Amino acid sequence: MQLLSPITALVRPRITLSSTVRHALHNSAVLLSKQLPPRRVIPESEIIENFLKGSGPGGQKINKTSSAVQLKHIPTGIVVKYQDTRSRAQNRKIARKLLQDRLEEHELGDDARTRVKAREKSKKKASSDKKKRRKYRALEAGKADEESAEELEGVEELEGDAEVESGDAGKSVGTQGKREGVDKAG
Amino acid sequence: MPRIPTALLRKARTIDAFLPALLAPCRDLHTAQNELRWLREHVEKVAKARRAKRDTLVKGALLGQLVRERAKGKPLQYLLGTEYFGDLEIKCRPGVLIPRQDTAASVTHLAKLVRTAPNLPAELRVLDLCTGTGCIPLLFRHEFTSNRKDFDLRIVGIDISDKSIGLAHYNLLKNERIIQARAGMTNFAKADVLADPFGDLTIGAPLPVRSMLNHNKWAPFWDILISNPPYISPSAYWKTTTRSVRGFEPKLALVPPPKSKFDDRQQGDMFYPRLLKIAEEVEAKIVLLEVADLEQALRVAQLAQKLDVFDGIEIWRDEPDVSSSQPTNEDGFHVYGEGNARSVVCWRSEGGSWLGKSSSPKPPELLQDAPEETSSNSYWPPSYYQSNEVNFNAMPRFMWKRHMGDQRGKPPTRWRTPKTRWREPA
Repeated sequence: MQLLSPITALVRPRITLSSTVRHALHNSAVLLSKQLPPRRVIPESEIIENFLKGSGPGGQKINKTSSAVQLKHIPTGIVVKYQDTRSRAQNRKIARKLLQDRLEEHELGDDARTRVKAREKSKKKASSDKKKRRKYRALEAGKADEESAEELEGVEELEGDAEVESGDAGKSVGTQGKREGVDKAG
Repeated sequence: MPRIPTALLRKARTIDAFLPALLAPCRDLHTAQNELRWLREHVEKVAKARRAKRDTLVKGALLGQLVRERAKGKPLQYLLGTEYFGDLEIKCRPGVLIPRQDTAASVTHLAKLVRTAPNLPAELRVLDLCTGTGCIPLLFRHEFTSNRKDFDLRIVGIDISDKSIGLAHYNLLKNERIIQARAGMTNFAKADVLADPFGDLTIGAPLPVRSMLNHNKWAPFWDILISNPPYISPSAYWKTTTRSVRGFEPKLALVPPPKSKFDDRQQGDMFYPRLLKIAEEVEAKIVLLEVADLEQALRVAQLAQKLDVFDGIEIWRDEPDVSSSQPTNEDGFHVYGEGNARSVVCWRSEGGSWLGKSSSPKPPELLQDAPEETSSNSYWPPSYYQSNEVNFNAMPRFMWKRHMGDQRGKPPTRWRTPKTRWREPA
């Protein structure tokens, strides 16, 4: 018993409050099966950046909400535009990432990181679809077996039903007779 | 303004029921869709915050109300409560001008130029006049400290409006974690840029800049002066500003106050002579002033040239950091970058090397001669000007503080030699 007491102390479930958040012990990202190629670095001298705005007055006179960024890669002529966030700094960052992706696709073709990722994703989806199909096929097959079994048992069940019905009919007849009797008495 | 075609309205309606209303301020479908998305995200955020407080929110009603307000022209930044200024998210409130992205571009460019300079003093002081939301000091500090942490950066923002000072303090608090405000000092104070420092003080009126600096025991000398003052003339205000600016942003921050015997253009330029005068008083090495367009930029540049204290003057456009373009020459001033002319930059002494300007057009003899010309009508003894180092015995005791910065009692870390002439109060 003396040996067991420390073990129970270890095993005893910890009191957890419903309000406290429990974190997983491991939070490193799951590695892809295959390492992606390194990102291609585009020197700023190869890019023409344009902040797309009208030719009208600027400064205090107008109050713009859009901060669109357009990037043009000079050697290849690829143009990328991004304006989804309100921050110009953010738009510039994301536009550069987009341009990197486009450029990689242009240069490496199917080896580009976007294509690799897309392939990985489609492969995962295909396998999960396959599993899904297998599962439902199995379910369908199971159902079909049950149905065929039901067909076999159907005759006995019908007889059983008939018995119950006849019983019911007898009862109902009985009650009707009583009612009739009451009516007659009235 | 051209009418929005019915076909476009109908197309917008098929995408989203809220879109046609947003087409009025946005004018095109893509912008309207973006704004609607941002408004939706904002509503989601508000709802989430309410849920955390065990409160509920009718999302559709709030979104409908926001869209209606936006359709009337209320700036999106006031509805969402923030605007991005460079990397920083700055809080906005009605009554204080919304920061503009063109200003951020100039300030970022200046900070990037100065932070790479080799001969910076151990304590760099930056003064921002007409600070509004406090966006310029905060962005300057953020850009500057992102790769230079080896020295003190002291920044003070000044504005006349109580609302803006309150908001600036709030923004400092909000962005403190990002901009590492602990290294050095960032502060905001209320003062009147246009007030005459030698005029009579009226009770309750804000102090002139100089008196305010003295009053707070801050240093009287500043290395960099930045300002985005009100610069729109009354006629331009009615003709060129958009309806959402006219209807919802404070006129105080856009149009200088009227003054008798000033015509329309003079009223628009009213702040610049005062700002340049203050720059001279605080011995600013670099001055960055925002302007409306090229004509005003040239007027301000000529004004600065007439003062004859700056070694160089140039004009920056909306995007001054576009490296591909060559500077153009307008009226003898170099104009850098692309877009509208946005700011006038002046520098002197070390300021030129901080900005990466190698040539100093003024020969050193001129600087030596300058004090002697005025020595006859100056009340400082001649030894005060002639000695290369500061002679503390030759100057009155109350001037010691001025030469020792704001560190009283300690030996001055930074000896200053007066290079500008002392002028009698006009």
